Amino acid sequence: MAASTFCPALLPLLRINCKFNGVYTRISLNRRAAYSLGLTASNGVERQGLPERGNQGQRRQRRAVEPRTERMTVDQDWTAVYPTAASFKPNSVPLPVRMGYPVKRGVPPAKKGNLELIKIPNFLHLTPEAIKKHCEALKPFCTEWPAALDSDAKCEEHFPIQVESKAYVSAGPSLRNPNARIITLTVKLSSLNLDEHARKKLIRLSGERYNKDTDTLTITTDSCPMKQQNYDYAMYLLTVLYHESWKTEAWEKEKTRADMEEYVWEDSPSQKNILETLLRMRPLGEKEEEGEVREELLGRVEVQEYKDSVTKLKNEGETETNMQQYKEAVKKLLNI
Amino acid sequence: MAASLRHSTLFTTVCRQLNSTLWLNVGGRSIHSSAVCCKNRAARIRVGKGDRPVTYEQALHPHQIAHRKGWLSQHTSNLQGEDGAADRTVEDLFIRRLIYGTFHGCLADELVIKRRGNLLVICALMLQKLPPHKYYFLVGYTEELLSHFYKCPVKMEIQMLEEKSVYKYL
Repeated sequence: MAASTFCPALLPLLRINCKFNGVYTRISLNRRAAYSLGLTASNGVERQGLPERGNQGQRRQRRAVEPRTERMTVDQDWTAVYPTAASFKPNSVPLPVRMGYPVKRGVPPAKKGNLELIKIPNFLHLTPEAIKKHCEALKPFCTEWPAALDSDAKCEEHFPIQVESKAYVSAGPSLRNPNARIITLTVKLSSLNLDEHARKKLIRLSGERYNKDTDTLTITTDSCPMKQQNYDYAMYLLTVLYHESWKTEAWEKEKTRADMEEYVWEDSPSQKNILETLLRMRPLGEKEEEGEVREELLGRVEVQEYKDSVTKLKNEGETETNMQQYKEAVKKLLNI
Repeated sequence: MAASLRHSTLFTTVCRQLNSTLWLNVGGRSIHSSAVCCKNRAARIRVGKGDRPVTYEQALHPHQIAHRKGWLSQHTSNLQGEDGAADRTVEDLFIRRLIYGTFHGCLADELVIKRRGNLLVICALMLQKLPPHKYYFLVGYTEELLSHFYKCPVKMEIQMLEEKSVYKYL
């Protein structure tokens, strides 16, 4: 209380002294009054008449202008206040926000001069109205999705090759990211024009890159420094694979039974064994041609069933159904 | 004889002292021989008489960051799989020193540095120490200098305060 009465009383003296003694007197008076000014600063009453701290030589008094929030109407255009991303301005946001850990038996600090509110990112520039305006502005640059491509299947049919690439955004002076050069190309082999031999050869050539369950070939390229170069390289690889798989080299004739990808029943030991068994089972005395007998035997339904069950077992592995099928086929064949 | 006696008594007293350190003799005074553990003094203003005004930033110690305090500098380099953290940190330090010197005595609180893409935003709270036209000049000068230095757009958003906002008195 003593402090608050001290300052106005000295005011005329201060002003007179300024004219004659210049800056020095004012500084010393200000320093002594600084602490008391600090304590009473929250009262806005004496503010008007007091000169600003450290305003050396400035006789002009800077009155505190009322903040913009006082003159804001309720139905104003908020997108004009925060058109772009900006830090929190307490005099532009008409909300009585408080932020910070409160002092004991106190409240969180007010928004004026609150660094915490400035630190955090705010979304005051992204109100629904603002987003609507953005969409309206972007519409002239957008085109409609083609009406013919209304399902995934159609998209697959017309655009079988899918190319994926990633773009990276980060905060810093440079926008280059070396991971952005990686390209992944996926294509389903069913959409390529391949015959049996070409398909098998392509699968063999691609090795790890082919996924049997989804029938997709995935080519990932990252050996070139630029994205465009990697894309060209991936397309080149696909082209080469396709053309090479259609060609038949001279040495491919030497493919043995061990090189086969899946089990084939014709000319297998299983076929020979079953034919021998069936021949032996025939009653003696009937002299027929070997070739005809073989053809006849092979044409029988039970033999066909046996052939199916054995092929399934060898190709798919041992499951309940496969074993059951094999059992039934053998029983039928041997008339058990 | 006397000398040996004296030595033996000295020896026994020394042994007793060593024993007492081992057994934590509360009553006796003994030499402590453990490793030194100094108090943490980073970014802390120690509690004093109660006449020193401190801001929120100064009052809360660094272990309160992410609990009661936010971060003064934001960028994506500290995320998983991102690089450039060291470069951004060095840039931040340089910017803080530059602005502390350019606006000497005018800063009310620490700088807040934000990066939006390649735009560098420096948010500062200033006291009304200089006439406005000087502030405008200094802001323009800093922006121009830093954008030429770092080859990216630099913006300063300053807010004026009459005096530093006091959080408590330590």
